[in-house]
Amino acid sequence: MMKKQNEKPVQEKKQEIQQKKDQKPEMQGAKPQGDAAVKINRKKVNAYQRRQNRLGYLFMMPWIIGFVIFTLFPFAATIYLSFTDVRTSILGWEIDFIGMANYVTAFFKNTEFVPALLSFLAMIIPYTFVVIIVSFIIAYLMSKLTKFRGTFRTIYFLPVIIMSGPVMSQILDANVSEHMEEVSRYDGLFIMNMIESYSPQFAHTLGGVLDELSVILWFTGIPIVLFINGLQKINPSLFEAAKIDSANSWQILWKIIIPLIKPIALVCTIFTIAQLGTYDTNPVYDLIKTATGNMSGGLGYAATYAWIYSLIVLLIIGIAFLIFKDRKEKKRGV
Amino acid sequence: MKKKNRAVNVFPKIQKLLIYFVLICISFVFLKPIFGIISKTFMSTADVIDPAVEWLPKKFSLANIKVAANVLKVGKTLTNSIMFSGILAICQTVVSALTGYALSRFNFRFKHFWFVMILLAFIIPLPVLMVPRLMMFVSFQEMLPFNLIGTPIPQVLMALLGQGVYSTVLILIFNNFFNMIPHVLDEAAMIDGAGPLKVFYHVVIKMSLSTILVVFLFSFVWNWNETYITGTLLRNSIELMPAKLGLFNSEFDSMASASGSAFKINEAYKMAATFLSIAPLLVLYAFVQKRFIQGIENTGITGE
Repeated sequence: MMKKQNEKPVQEKKQEIQQKKDQKPEMQGAKPQGDAAVKINRKKVNAYQRRQNRLGYLFMMPWIIGFVIFTLFPFAATIYLSFTDVRTSILGWEIDFIGMANYVTAFFKNTEFVPALLSFLAMIIPYTFVVIIVSFIIAYLMSKLTKFRGTFRTIYFLPVIIMSGPVMSQILDANVSEHMEEVSRYDGLFIMNMIESYSPQFAHTLGGVLDELSVILWFTGIPIVLFINGLQKINPSLFEAAKIDSANSWQILWKIIIPLIKPIALVCTIFTIAQLGTYDTNPVYDLIKTATGNMSGGLGYAATYAWIYSLIVLLIIGIAFLIFKDRKEKKRGV
Repeated sequence: MKKKNRAVNVFPKIQKLLIYFVLICISFVFLKPIFGIISKTFMSTADVIDPAVEWLPKKFSLANIKVAANVLKVGKTLTNSIMFSGILAICQTVVSALTGYALSRFNFRFKHFWFVMILLAFIIPLPVLMVPRLMMFVSFQEMLPFNLIGTPIPQVLMALLGQGVYSTVLILIFNNFFNMIPHVLDEAAMIDGAGPLKVFYHVVIKMSLSTILVVFLFSFVWNWNETYITGTLLRNSIELMPAKLGLFNSEFDSMASASGSAFKINEAYKMAATFLSIAPLLVLYAFVQKRFIQGIENTGITGE
């Protein structure tokens, strides 16, 4: 889509150039007249541009005002507030600059924050991996089918509609109480035992992922639809060409489909991270919520929490960018 | 010869059957929590404890739903939730349409910059914005004769200014759809003397009613399911379905102790409450599921 918008101005420029070329013979014939024509034309272009500016900003105005007031300003304010102590008084807000004290408290004095952050990381990284890979596999399998595609899609998209924090926590609650009797269901499995003997930590994470597979799968709804859509848009002649060169479907998958689907994978990753963050399964949210609820003295502290948390989320998104970046462009640069 | 041919034909069929099998298994995993909710909802208390009963209850009972409906105060919370999400969704739809139109039709200055900003607004995590937002509204509130915190006004304001739940996605849906409407129509209307607002309303909006519906539905569902912003700004002053469900356990206990009965909370009540809170969305999905999926496909994020 970005490309499309890039093209528009280019087309217009071409038209302008075309117009100027048309006027050239005139200029050669009678110079003063031609100059005037160009001037008028430029005036017209300017008027056109001004009109475009005016109308564009007229329609964009509500969003821009909202963005500045409710997103840009709060974003900057949070960074500042994270270095302050905020208290309410009769006069309004009392904001004292206290330097790094909030950060020191968050990392060294508070016993809850660091473990919550770590468990958030231990959740979001494997979950995102599982969501992206599983949704791609499902989409790939579905692209091979001709019948019942719509039915499957309807089923896989359903969770998007009903997913909300309280519903998720109720279901997870039910899961936990169901499995109380059988402490670890995977103890008997040979593979799990093998993994555990190498690295108990990994086995624990894997067990967690398997336990909550249903709930993790619920996050795949939108990625699946995006992946299917992306797979349909791949030019079929590419597959034909590959088949003529005697590539099997495994090679086609790795050499054609995956490189072409990477930008969509990036979008899906960002969406999944944004979504995973917002549910009650996220331990850091609870801390921020309670700190925000404490209006009499906890707001500066809440800002610190929120800022550290957001930095980490943005960092993860940045890493995702690096993973899915198009490597071809690099080569072109070199 | 014939035999060989048949063998070749059979292989893809087996492959297809395998794919169907795998996809059906995955569907089951997807639906398992929902099946669980529904089956527990209709179980009697005896069935819940009985380990022999896994999915199908021996006796259908509506007792759980009655209890849950009582605790959730369904009549009131349902209308509240519908009104609340509906109003926010209308606001979001209007603003997204305006913004999407601006992006698709006008070549104004710094358009690319604003486009990137719209995408960035989606990436910034919400908690980082909530503290200053809350402080702003509290400060405003002191200047005004009425309360802001604990009313829907802050959220309506944010939705009206394009900063609601997942606004970016809604804007992208509109932008992409408007890009598909030929510019010639606008120009024809303009030649006939229509101003920009008239063109927007009479030409573009009237052609995109289905897209408007899609965006409205998405916005409605997302606002319905949103609890973080609502919990911070609205608190519990208006009783909404999901928030009420979050408080179900404590609410149930207080009601049970108030009535002095020996009711104890169990899975079945909780699941019945969950069922009640997702039922409206399930009904909605049953009618318009295709539009939802098309809506996400039409965001154009997958590139054209």
